[in-house]
Formats: sequence, C-alpha cells, structure tokens
Amino acid sequence: MAYFLAQSGNALSLGGIYALLALGLAVVYSILGLINFAHGALMTLAGYVLVFAAVLGLPFYLSAPLAILVVMASAVLLERIAFRPVRGASGATMLLTSFAVAVLLQLAFQLFISTRPQVVPLPDFLTATVDLGSFAIGVNRVISVVVAVVVLIALNLFLKRTVLGLAMRAAADDFNVTRLMGIRANRVIATAFALSGLLAAVAAVLWIAQRSSVDPMMGLVPVLKAFIATTLGGLGSLLGAVLGGLLLGAIEIYLAAYLPDAALPFHGAITLGVVILVLVVRPQGLVGASRELGK
Amino acid sequence: MTRLAFSAMLAAGVSLAALGQTAFADDTLLIGAAISKTGWDAPYDSPVMDGLMLAIDEMNANGGIAGKFPVEIETRDNRSDNAQNAIVTQELVDEGVNMMIVTCDSSMVHAGAQIIVGAQIPAISTCSSSPTLPLSGDGYIFANAVTDNVQGAAQAEYAFGQGYRKAYLLRSPDIEYSQMPLYFADAFKKLGGEVVGESLYSLGQPDFSAEVTKIKELQPQPDVIVTSAFEPDFPAFIRQLRGAGVTVPLVAGDGIDSPTTFALGDAVEGVVFTSSGFAEPGSPMAAYQEKYEAKYGKPPESIMDALGYDLAKIIEAAVTQADSVEPAKIRDALANLENVQGATAEISYKGGNGTPTRPVAVIRIEDGKRVLVSRKAPDPAIVPAPNLDLNAAQ
Repeated sequence: MAYFLAQSGNALSLGGIYALLALGLAVVYSILGLINFAHGALMTLAGYVLVFAAVLGLPFYLSAPLAILVVMASAVLLERIAFRPVRGASGATMLLTSFAVAVLLQLAFQLFISTRPQVVPLPDFLTATVDLGSFAIGVNRVISVVVAVVVLIALNLFLKRTVLGLAMRAAADDFNVTRLMGIRANRVIATAFALSGLLAAVAAVLWIAQRSSVDPMMGLVPVLKAFIATTLGGLGSLLGAVLGGLLLGAIEIYLAAYLPDAALPFHGAITLGVVILVLVVRPQGLVGASRELGK
Repeated sequence: MTRLAFSAMLAAGVSLAALGQTAFADDTLLIGAAISKTGWDAPYDSPVMDGLMLAIDEMNANGGIAGKFPVEIETRDNRSDNAQNAIVTQELVDEGVNMMIVTCDSSMVHAGAQIIVGAQIPAISTCSSSPTLPLSGDGYIFANAVTDNVQGAAQAEYAFGQGYRKAYLLRSPDIEYSQMPLYFADAFKKLGGEVVGESLYSLGQPDFSAEVTKIKELQPQPDVIVTSAFEPDFPAFIRQLRGAGVTVPLVAGDGIDSPTTFALGDAVEGVVFTSSGFAEPGSPMAAYQEKYEAKYGKPPESIMDALGYDLAKIIEAAVTQADSVEPAKIRDALANLENVQGATAEISYKGGNGTPTRPVAVIRIEDGKRVLVSRKAPDPAIVPAPNLDLNAAQ
C-alpha cells in the first residue's frame, strides 16, 4: 500500500508537468486549430535566456521573469512572422509550418550557441525534495501541479470575465463571425500566443529543474508528451489538456511501477497502446467537446 | 569523362584552391570525416574534432605528418541520421579519401560500415566505445575510446574491491552504449558478485520517480547501483535518487563526464565513473590541456576533446609507420600500432581486432572535482567478449 501511494504521488507530480505542457498547446489549438510544435523550441529558448542571464550575474527572481517576457515576445513574433501568412490554410500546412519553425530554431541554437548542453544554474529550492514519510516528491513537481491548477483557474477567469477573453471564446467558436462583430483577429491570436509563451517559459523552468541543463534538442520530448496529452484529453479543450496530462503521467508511472521485468523494454510501446485504447473508446478524447473555449 | 570523376576532380580542385597550397596531391593525406555537426550526436563529435584540429594544425605547421604528408580534412555532416550517414560516407569514399573519421554513435557507423569495408578504407570512430563496431568493420573500422566491455570490467573490479557484492543496474535498451551495465554484470559475476535487480529507462525520459521508488523499496538495499546513463537522464536520475534519501553508492560510465554533472553539487558527491583518461599534474594530458586552453581560450569541458587529440596522434603514427598515404598500408600499420603516446594515454591496437588497448581511469567526484582512484587496464580474464546481442544474453 505504501508503495502504491508513493507511486501515486509520482504519477500526480509527473502528470502535473505534462498538464502544464499540454495547456500551452491547447491555448493556441483552441483558437487556431494549430498544434504548435515550435512550443518545445520556445521552452529551449527560455532555458538559454536563463543561461545568459546567469552569465550576466542576474539573480533568479530577475532572470525567471526575463525568460518569461522574452519567450512571450518570441511567441508573438513567431505568430507574426511564420503563422500569420498561412492563417486559414489547411491544417497540414500549419502543422508543417510549425515543424519548420521548430527545426529552424533548433538549428539556430546549435549553430549560434552550442551543440553541447549548457548548465542552467537554478536556486536550490527548485531542485529540492519534500519528504512525505514513505516517499519524497520534488519541489518542482509540487510547483508544477499547483501552477497547472492556478493557470487553469486564471485562464478560465480571464476567458469568462474580460472582453479579450470573451473575444477569444467567440473566436474559438466562429472566427469569421467574430471578426464581423468588429473584434480584431490579430489581437486575439497574439494574445493566445503570448499565453502559450508564458506557459512554455514556466514549464521550461520546472522541466530544467529536473535535468539541470539546456541543449538545442531539449524541447523535443516535452512537446511530444504535450501533444499526446492534449490528444488524450480532447484537442482544443483546456480542461481536457490538464486531465490528459494527469492521465498520461499516471499511465507512464503505473506501467513503470507494475509491469513485469520482461515487459519493461516495451514500456513506451505499451504506454502509447493504452493511449490508443482510450482514443478508440473516446475518439474525441476525455473531455469530448473540441470547442471548450466557445462554451 | 564520367560525371563522378569530374565532380571528384572539381571537389579536389576546390578544396586545394581553398587551402591555397601547392602541395602535391599524391602526398596529401585526405581524411574524410563523416560526423555529426547537427542533431543529437553533435555534442559528442564536435569537441573531439576540436582536439583533433589542434593536433592536425600542429602537424601541418611542421610540413605535415613526418614532415612530408600534409593533412587535409573533408567534413560532411550526417545530421545525426543513420541513412544520411551512409550517404555522406559514400560521398567521401567517391572523393577518394585516404582514410576516414566516423561518428561517435555506433549505430550510425554500422549504417555506413559496409561502404567502408567495400572500399577498403581504414576508419576510426571519434569517440564510440562500442566493442562491436570493429566486428562489423571487418578489420577496417577502429574504436578510439575505452570500449564498453573494458569499462564494465573496470567498474566490476572497482566495485568488488570496495567490498560490494550486490549490484543493481539501471540501463536503457535504446542504444548500445546505455547497455554497458550488462558488461559490468558479466564481469561482476565472474568475480563472485551478484546482480539483485535492474530498472530499464528510455533515453530522454524526463522522470525517474517510478524507478527510484522501486529501488527505495528494495530489502535489503543493494551495495552499489551501476549505470551508463548520461545527460539529460543521469542528472534527472541521480537528483531524484538522492532526493528520495537513497544513499547507495553509484558507479557510472564515461558518459557522465560533462560540466552538468559537476554542477549537481551534493547529488553527485562520491559518484565514481570510468574514463579514458585523467589529467594528473605533469602528465601528457595536463600538457595537452594547456595547449587546448591556449588555442581555444577556455579550459576543456570534458575528456572528449582529448580523445580527438589521441585520434590525430594515432593517425600520425599509422601514416608515419606506413610511410605512405595509401589506404591499405595505413590500415595495416594502424592495426599493428603499439604504445602511441596520445593526450590521455599510451594506446596500442596490435592484437586488439580494432579495439584500442588503453588503461581505464576510475575517477571519484569529491567536492565537485575529479579525484583519481586508479588507472590501469582491467584483468583480461574478466573482460567480457563483445556481444552483438546484449539483450539476448540476459
């Protein structure tokens, strides 16, 4: 029982960071129908900002907000440069564009910074662990869960209580009619990208707290996990993204904990098998509606 | 004139013009480097090439190897992709290179191995520690770093010598290198030790809490945990392991020798790892590191660049011995090299079937610094044979 509880704690904390990652993808998807694979590259960028800020001697309470600002601005810039020209094009075009942006950024990091991982100095409290008797849990993981929940509530308030939020929900429901009502499309979309940039930067800090370094390829794994989580939860649904993240974390941890040794080499395949099974039963994902923002 | 010959001539012409030299093409050693300049494998190849270029520049400043064979390097990026590596290998072979430098990841080299064997051109891997690579290279592909099976044996000797009898393994079946603990297990059992369990992980796995919880539950606790996990997996694992209060000693492979490891503070205190070299004061390695710092303006980050210097010294010795730049002669000389002084060690290939004979440094991390524990070749009797199917052996 203690073992099960310990592993459940692990599942919750891994799920928390997946939820945060998935939220970043879902915010943009719910408006534009675009899975932004460059989200991972934005996380990597946040890591490099932290590295350079440390070189300049900035303390963490300054470098973290700086990273968040730079990444938010970059996300908005990316939308302006790469995604606006293909707005309204087919889903495949937008998907390929986001892949292209991700690859270009990754190559830029390799060529202009370094192929070698760079150490990211983070304050001790982020890398510490809390002892809960039978098991210990990383502080960064507790923060992930809390931040995911806070962000979810804040986003909901923002979407329901502000004019811009109302515009975003309307845009998610019917973009053309929203524009006819006099809402400026560019502002709505830029806001969505800025929000996803904010989430990418926060997730990056927590992700790096785990691995201690940033390299040009760092964003690949998280964006993939986020994609699986959003699909699992229901594409376009914010609540679904969070639930999908938590479920994916749980699947991964329980399989690693309870699979017999002989089956462990197939851990990744079995994880995806379970995900596919969920999608066979619920093709629209856990939280069915793909129009959560509009409702 | 065929198009192929024309393009080869063109390429040769362009590279000669670029150098602005009037060297006789016959005496120039043209090395084709099929390496990763981009992609996940690039962090390993790029520092090796830095160390290599330092040595090549030294040689060319003295008129080339043995004062008469200027060295020229033609580099192609395989983009860390197996198929692309086969393509660039073929391109370099078509350009008529005298010998080749191949990438650090053994599976990528395997993908181009038959082209190299077919063309009968000797090739050396930048930093692969795969003991099976020379097997598929059929006498033409050579390793440079201490191979996995030798590292595993050295780890076993160290662990057994410390009085550890029960070992726990953490390995990933994803690539050959991350299976090094299986070689450790083989040697450890020969010495009389026992493997009490293992965890598997995937490369790039963000979280090790499930594995750590499993280890924490073990009764009794193992005497030692052995892994060849490397960045970013190793920092994530060791942080979570120590964070959970597990204090079992840990022995790792040369892959953790990176600035990130040494920035982990208390989490890596006492961690022991095997390596191809250690910079003792007054050693050739220390002298090399001074040269490196003078050229690049910063101290080396790890041992990888020193391996590049080793590689250049091996090439120099082979070409000097062969007294020729003909691929066949270089290969024969290379396969019979003895006691070549590189940056990290004295290296021999004679009788090794393509794997180098070199001592293994066992290094302990104390106060964030490297401390040498021992430096010797492990007992040949316990060194496991290279195994092409490690999983099946279990």
